[in-house]
Amino acid sequence: MWAIAQMELKKNIHDKGIWFWTFILPILFIIVFVAVFSGQEGVEYAETVTQIIPGYTVMFTFFIMISILITFIKDRERGMVARIASTPISVSSYFLGKWIPFMIIVLLQIAVLFLFGVLVYDLPLGDPTALIVMSLFQAFLATSWGLAMAVLVKTENMGIALTQIIALGGALLGGLWMPIEIMPDIMQTICKFIPQYWGLEGYKEIILHDGGVLDIWQPLAILLVGGAIGVLIAITGYQRYLRLAKS
Amino acid sequence: MIEVAQLSKSYGKIQALTNIEFTIDKGTCFGLVGPNGAGKSTLMKILAGILQQFEGDIVVDRFSVAKEKQAVKQLIGYIPQELCLEETLTARDNLLLFGRLYGISGRTLNNRIDNVLEKIGLTERSKDTVLNFSGGMKRRLNIGCALLHEPAIVIMDEPTVGIDPQSRKSIFSIIEQLRADGSTIIYSSHYMEEVEQLCDRIGLIDKGILLENGTMNGLMEKYGTPSLYVSGDTIEAEHLHPYQIAPKGDGYLVRDANPLATLEKLLVRFRELDLQPRRLELYYPKLEDIFFQLTGTKLRDN
Repeated sequence: MWAIAQMELKKNIHDKGIWFWTFILPILFIIVFVAVFSGQEGVEYAETVTQIIPGYTVMFTFFIMISILITFIKDRERGMVARIASTPISVSSYFLGKWIPFMIIVLLQIAVLFLFGVLVYDLPLGDPTALIVMSLFQAFLATSWGLAMAVLVKTENMGIALTQIIALGGALLGGLWMPIEIMPDIMQTICKFIPQYWGLEGYKEIILHDGGVLDIWQPLAILLVGGAIGVLIAITGYQRYLRLAKS
Repeated sequence: MIEVAQLSKSYGKIQALTNIEFTIDKGTCFGLVGPNGAGKSTLMKILAGILQQFEGDIVVDRFSVAKEKQAVKQLIGYIPQELCLEETLTARDNLLLFGRLYGISGRTLNNRIDNVLEKIGLTERSKDTVLNFSGGMKRRLNIGCALLHEPAIVIMDEPTVGIDPQSRKSIFSIIEQLRADGSTIIYSSHYMEEVEQLCDRIGLIDKGILLENGTMNGLMEKYGTPSLYVSGDTIEAEHLHPYQIAPKGDGYLVRDANPLATLEKLLVRFRELDLQPRRLELYYPKLEDIFFQLTGTKLRDN
């Protein structure tokens, strides 16, 4: 497992694309949208910052799905997965080895974006323990969905398209782009079924209301269930993924 | 020793393997040949422990592939046709990965990597990124990754596809070295002359059925009735009437139950007709001829 994790981490460090999607693009989005919305009449600066930074952080964590599925599809197409399956490593170790580096990257991404918020926009952080726990669960959800997508999709393009739908559609419906209170009633009901909404709710509870781990049990539970479903799909789809693998 | 017993595998309605049975003795180089889609890769994938769900079993040194997959995997080094390498990493990093996947670590792993690098002729390039390697170097590294755990059995699926003659020669010498070390090799290739040259025994598979399994000499005895090969600028098909002929190269193969007698008759005929054959000789069929004889020449695009 650690052999795969170490190799995956090394590969990702060399991959400039992942740096762009994970750190540069989200920071650019935050700068632009904070500038646009903080200039509007009747909108408080603090309100803008506490909506946009955690909201965009949650949204961009899902972009890791692209990197995960590209890695898995490359492994499948190059026969790497079949070759690894010929070694004594178990399915769970293979998934864990692939998954851990992406968890690290997403946690690093959340840390960098929040740090950027603190340094540039005076973003309050709240309880650090709750923030770390919330980030772990958020990273678990995004990466496990990435694993599920990676074993299910046939082509890279199909995966990227679905990721955009999940990341952008989820952001829109989950209220990551604008406060849920200003959305129509029907949207306010729909968003309760979107995990992204619960991601943002958790962060808001910590940042705005100084909530602790116990105060965010509901978002944590929903993210955990969502993540577990992703893992389950990934494990179930592994045999099919293996069948499609070249060797 | 490898014992394949009543092995069958289907993909939905497609029967990939049907009741395959054969044994391979320790230290043998076993050539597996067959057209595309014949079932070679499926057979090798089952043996390598990649494919689950199949009927029958393969026993490798007392261990059952169906029941003791992990033990079997430690005995096998699988070299797939695809280049399964991490191209953005160095040759050493790639070897490190596969060594660790087989549970080797520390000084032992470093020593094994050095040995394998020497065996595959990449010691000088061990710290270079694989992306900058030639096709032949990548093929050699692809082989090296399967040798770190010093497997008793090495499965090679088309290891010489798309490489230059120098790299092919180098791969042959790796195989010879493995044989000298006592490894059992299962070698699949579409290059029949390679299989003839390297393998002690040959299994010919088509449509999931093992059509033949034996030594090259055994196959020759069974299928290898010699023919006559005739070529010459002025020699046409009509000059070879009434014999059964088939065009080959710039001449013809003349098939007859008694080729030596036919050779004498043709010599007389050519002299009478004042024809000058460039080549008139006994032609012993090669593995490729036996292959076509058993599988036909129709394209296998599906």
